[in-house]
Amino acid sequence: MPGILVVAATAEGALSRSSLELVGGARALDASLGSGVSAALLGHGLGSTGAAEALHQHGVATVYRVDHPALTAGQSDAYLAAAEQVARTAKPDVVLVGADTVGREVAPRLAHRLAGALVTECTELAVEGGAVVVRRQAYGGRALATLVVRGRPAVLSVKPRSLDAPEPAPVAGSVVDVDAQIDPNALPTRVREVLREKSEVGLEDAQVVVSGGRGLGGPDGFKMIEELAAMLGGAVGSSRPPADAGWVPISWQIGQTGKTVRPALYVAVGISGATQHVAGMAGSRTIVAINRDPEAPIFGVAHLGLVGDYREIIPPLIARIKELKAR
Amino acid sequence: MESSWLRALVVLALVVVAGAIFTRKLLLVYRLIRLGAGPVPLAPPGERLRDLVAQVLGHRKVLRRPLAGVLHLFIFWGFLVLLTTIIQAMGEAFSPGWTLPVIGQPPLLAALQDLFIALVLIGVGMALWMRLVSRPRRLEGQDRRGAYLILGFIGGIMITLLLSRAGQIVLESPAWAPGAALSGFVAGAIAGAPRAVVRGVFEVAWWGHLLIILIFLTWIPEGKHLHLITLVPNILLKKARPRGALAPIDIEQAEHLGISSIEHSTWKDMLDAFACMECGRCVEVCPANATGKELDPRRLHTDLRTHLTRVGSARLAGGEAADAPALVGGVFSEAFLWQCLTCGACVEECPAANDHIDKIVGMRRHLVMEEARVPDTMGDALRSLEARGHPFRGAGLSRTAWTAGVEVKTLADGGRAEWLLWVGCASALNERNHGSLRALVRVLQRAGVEAAILGDEEACTGDPARRMGNEYLFQQLAQQNIETLNRYGVRKILTACPHCYNTFKNEYPQFGGQYEVWHHTQLLARLVEERRLAPSEAVPLTVTFHDPCYLGRHNGEYDAPRRVLAAIPGVRTVEMAQCRERGFCCGAGGGLYWVEDRVGQRINHVRTDHATATGAQVVATACPFCMLMLEDGVAAREAKIRPMDVAELLGRSLAGGSAERSGG
Amino acid sequence: MDIIVCLKQVVDPELPARDFAIDPATRRQVREGRPLVLSTYDENALEVALQMKDHQGAKVTALTIAPQATVGDTVRLALAMGADEAVVIDDPRSPELSGPARARMLAAVIRKIGRYDLVLTGCESADLVERLIAPLLAEELGAACVTFVARIDAADGPLVVRRQADEGYHVVEARLPAVLSVTSDEANRPRLPKVKDIVTAKRKPVQIWTPGDLGSMADDGGVEVRDVAIPQRTGKCEFLTGDPAQQAEALALRLRELKLL
Ligand SMILES: Cc1cc2nc3c(=O)[nH]c(=O)nc-3n(C[C@H](O)[C@H](O)[C@H](O)COP(=O)(O)OP(=O)(O)OC[C@H]3O[C@@H](n4cnc5c(N)ncnc54)[C@H](O)[C@@H]3O)c2cc1C
Ligand SMILES: Cc1cc2nc3c(=O)[nH]c(=O)nc-3n(C[C@H](O)[C@H](O)[C@H](O)COP(=O)(O)OP(=O)(O)OC[C@H]3O[C@@H](n4cnc5c(N)ncnc54)[C@H](O)[C@@H]3O)c2cc1C
Ligand code: SF4
Ligand code: SF4
Repeated sequence: MPGILVVAATAEGALSRSSLELVGGARALDASLGSGVSAALLGHGLGSTGAAEALHQHGVATVYRVDHPALTAGQSDAYLAAAEQVARTAKPDVVLVGADTVGREVAPRLAHRLAGALVTECTELAVEGGAVVVRRQAYGGRALATLVVRGRPAVLSVKPRSLDAPEPAPVAGSVVDVDAQIDPNALPTRVREVLREKSEVGLEDAQVVVSGGRGLGGPDGFKMIEELAAMLGGAVGSSRPPADAGWVPISWQIGQTGKTVRPALYVAVGISGATQHVAGMAGSRTIVAINRDPEAPIFGVAHLGLVGDYREIIPPLIARIKELKAR
Repeated sequence: MESSWLRALVVLALVVVAGAIFTRKLLLVYRLIRLGAGPVPLAPPGERLRDLVAQVLGHRKVLRRPLAGVLHLFIFWGFLVLLTTIIQAMGEAFSPGWTLPVIGQPPLLAALQDLFIALVLIGVGMALWMRLVSRPRRLEGQDRRGAYLILGFIGGIMITLLLSRAGQIVLESPAWAPGAALSGFVAGAIAGAPRAVVRGVFEVAWWGHLLIILIFLTWIPEGKHLHLITLVPNILLKKARPRGALAPIDIEQAEHLGISSIEHSTWKDMLDAFACMECGRCVEVCPANATGKELDPRRLHTDLRTHLTRVGSARLAGGEAADAPALVGGVFSEAFLWQCLTCGACVEECPAANDHIDKIVGMRRHLVMEEARVPDTMGDALRSLEARGHPFRGAGLSRTAWTAGVEVKTLADGGRAEWLLWVGCASALNERNHGSLRALVRVLQRAGVEAAILGDEEACTGDPARRMGNEYLFQQLAQQNIETLNRYGVRKILTACPHCYNTFKNEYPQFGGQYEVWHHTQLLARLVEERRLAPSEAVPLTVTFHDPCYLGRHNGEYDAPRRVLAAIPGVRTVEMAQCRERGFCCGAGGGLYWVEDRVGQRINHVRTDHATATGAQVVATACPFCMLMLEDGVAAREAKIRPMDVAELLGRSLAGGSAERSGG
Repeated sequence: MDIIVCLKQVVDPELPARDFAIDPATRRQVREGRPLVLSTYDENALEVALQMKDHQGAKVTALTIAPQATVGDTVRLALAMGADEAVVIDDPRSPELSGPARARMLAAVIRKIGRYDLVLTGCESADLVERLIAPLLAEELGAACVTFVARIDAADGPLVVRRQADEGYHVVEARLPAVLSVTSDEANRPRLPKVKDIVTAKRKPVQIWTPGDLGSMADDGGVEVRDVAIPQRTGKCEFLTGDPAQQAEALALRLRELKLL
């Protein structure tokens, strides 16, 4: 029964948000392809978690379930083996994998094993004239590529948070238990330990950076910035004056004589945009500037500009983001 | 004076012993210096002789500090003149009644000698006053005990001389006595004493005089007074290079790149170390030191001397000073070496003609090229230079972005012009300087001067790489640029950047790039004076000019920008206390634009304070780096003063509004 | 230990927006006249290899597929930083190769080189950011695979690496041979080459092979690049309007649209 297979890997047993996003993407594709959506539910101790039911609730009829003790956090090789078994059973046309830590390793290898086509880090999926067409960013976000995927199966890894989680659409479904032959001792890699210590993903590697400048007026302003950064899952940076004044550690300084960052999102708050500062953040994909001076040079490099007092903008922004994320 | 063989023998023995000690010590110094590498190309002899006269006999640089200069001049000339009394005394010891050949013992000479005894004593008094009362900053960190001891020696020599002369007058009434006013005065004071007492005073003073002189002699080859001997050769052995140029190294041939150990230093570096008189003039003018940093240009010499003596002596004895600290990272910390702006203030000031920059850049060369150790953000600039041909990591501007709104041809597009306008990265890639460039182009067009640019074909001249110690990268960039320039047959280069100016003028000839190079203020001054530009609109502003180090000290051009300012109606100029030769670096030189200045005060903030203190409304400059640093200083200090390029000011005064509002 | 580091040459990602262009014929970035640099994370990968060489001894081979005429600086930089030798596959088509084809070619070269315990790549290339070469290469070579490796914790016994993960780090033990893709970390900030090494790098061996040396290699990934568009927003700032609350609202929605929430 060829169709769309969603790889729902779960370490804790519960269905993750990104797996649901994949289901949303699969259903949208299915609206044109009409070949049905199934899911590979991979994990350990899945019986009691209701993950299969959740999938049924969201319109997935067939759930291939692999329940194996080797399917624990980060164990990519085990997930790969399980996904491969399911794919060989289900023979799908399209396989969707979330491009998370494990998915990034699984998707290309799965495509290789299935001799399929591969596109990674997709942000949009569509069907045009019967063909699967996907979009992804290229060249550091400067360009958007449209690719036509002809090979089958088409293994697509999807960037987390790029598809919408679907509304519930319950179907009567079935669970097919697939017996995976995974020999934990034969796996080439083994996760020894998961370090959850709030990974000090350094400023330089952060995907979101919220930066404050002299315009914040003092260390108190940075409390607000830190809250916004936490809400966006990012790190906090600064221009030079706050570092000079001791409002923030020197290591937060971004710019020519500080750090260089290239995040997906850079939010500059109360920063005028001197060239020496811009030198350290110009490579950011999306730059948002909040400044009360409409003539500030930062608006020359920003993509989105908000003119006003940050103290009036940030609190409602935090509140609104909280709301959107809760949905 | 009566004499005996005994006296002659004792004197002879003492002189021989002292002379032997002196010679041995001096020989060691000579051998230590010879441990250095050579050859060092020397300046033309005429120039060297001129320097010798000016610096040694005329004390030109020493006299820049009036008090210290005058006292030193007294002591120096005193010793020259009183050398005659020493020779006289020696001669008398062997043959009573002996007099100097030719000049003999006329009263006139005696008068001169007495005059200088007085002047030297005044000098010693002034020196004591300086050390005890006025205490200038440059004397901090000097070896105090040594200094007092030396003053004691000098004072002792003079007092004993005076007493022995007085005694001699009383005892023998020599022919020269009428001339010796001061000695005569003292003689009058002791004349009443019994003859035996006078004789005793005379003998004690005479022997004391001789002994102090001989002990002093054995002391000279140690410590700062060695400059009595080394200074003359140091000035006579002046390097052939122009001030702004660093010496090239043959990267392929060199066994070691840069300096990390004494054998990598040249003998001239060593001679410099022995010529340092610890006067502290360099420390006093060093902007890094003045703002609280570790860098100390005097210590650069004194510690090098100590290290050299220790390591070199061991080596001369056939061994190694095993526990001696490493030269780089030990004797001089990396921070010390990375704080130098290569501003040249120390070199300008040093009365011993020492070159501080060569040594610091030499050690940086070792750090960068042998060990690849440089401050992170400087490393980023070097990488950017390598990959993109400019040091401004992350600059999102193209090299021609500034031309929006003015018409400039590029050579690649077939533009032919008398001048190549060399734009420079600091101008092209930093928006603040675009206004200065456009103002310059408009002014040139007004005067009918044709200038074209290279556009994307321009690469950094390599100045930052060279000052950071990456000679290799510098040479690559230099060769690349020379090739481009020659391909277009460029003869005359006009540049708005003193760093580019210096590099083209003083350094590219080392690699076969010979061009006629002008800084934009030089051409502007010429155009104004030839009346090809007629500044007529009044620009009613008070302006103070900040001298860029690489225009001023390194190339001696202090006047051109001032002449342009003077030609602008309405402009009233005021000078900062630190101007011209004493100009204070903006903080960007030596590649330090690319590192954070966090130790002590920020240099550009201090410089901004200097400018603000004049009460001027505008601080004018003629360098894109200075401009960025001053803009930053003004913003940080929230100062009212506004930085402007000389070309921007001139542009404003040309009728018909070729001006553009820019900056501040 | 024998380590092979895969290095990709890319157009300087810091290129001014004005110079960024897509060639409509190949649907790839225009490379002519643009500075080429080593892809960002590849330098980190090389640094990791060199640190292993410094600490426990290793032979490091730099490998790149690129048109030979343009490759000089990249390879020389790698050798100057400390790689022992370099292999260049002179393929003028290389900028256009598909991911799987490129992985296949890299695997063929690596097999031809023969001895290897570790293959390191950047975690993603600075231009296309596919993040697929390392896993594909592992499959081609039948090797273990760990991506987004921040640092190597141990290599004397079993190989233990630290993988950057959504929730922190995974400490992963891997068998050899292994393919690792490397992300940046403070521990692997790329070193500056020493000039002496730059000079001696000119004498280090560089082998230049052609794709023909590797046997035939079909390039049909089953993916066709239809279009690469540059969104027309560079240089222009879009101002969100309204009172502060309205602006905040608009921004939150835009962030969601941009998939940033
Ligand atoms: C806009 C666009 C989108 C594309 N999307 C896809 C797609 O989704 N799927 C697909 O199959 N093809 C796609 N292609 C075709 C594309 O050419 C290849 O997928 C791409 O070359 C993969 O390489 P990468 O460098 O991006 O891979 P990455 O996996 O991001 O590269 C990681 C590492 O691989 C190593 N490496 C890469 N290239 C070389 C090399 N030449 N020499 C040595 N080492 C190297 C480096 O260590 C590098 O850091 C796309 C092409 C374009 C223009
Ligand atoms: C050699 C050198 C190296 C340098 N290196 C760096 C570097 O690495 N990094 C760096 O950042 N800088 C660096 N600088 C300093 C740089 O030139 C600028 O001075 C600095 O970036 C300015 O910081 P800022 O934008 O925070 O402050 P300002 O320029 O003072 O800007 C403050 C901004 O906040 C706005 N504002 C004020 N109040 C509010 C409010 N309530 N709400 C919203 N907006 C408000 C104002 O309109 C203004 O635009 C360097 C300078 C030099 C000379
Ligand atoms: S060149 Fe300038 S900064 Fe360097 S030591 Fe001399 S005075 Fe100090
Ligand atoms: S180096 Fe020159 S200026 Fe400095 S203390 Fe020595 S003699 Fe004086």
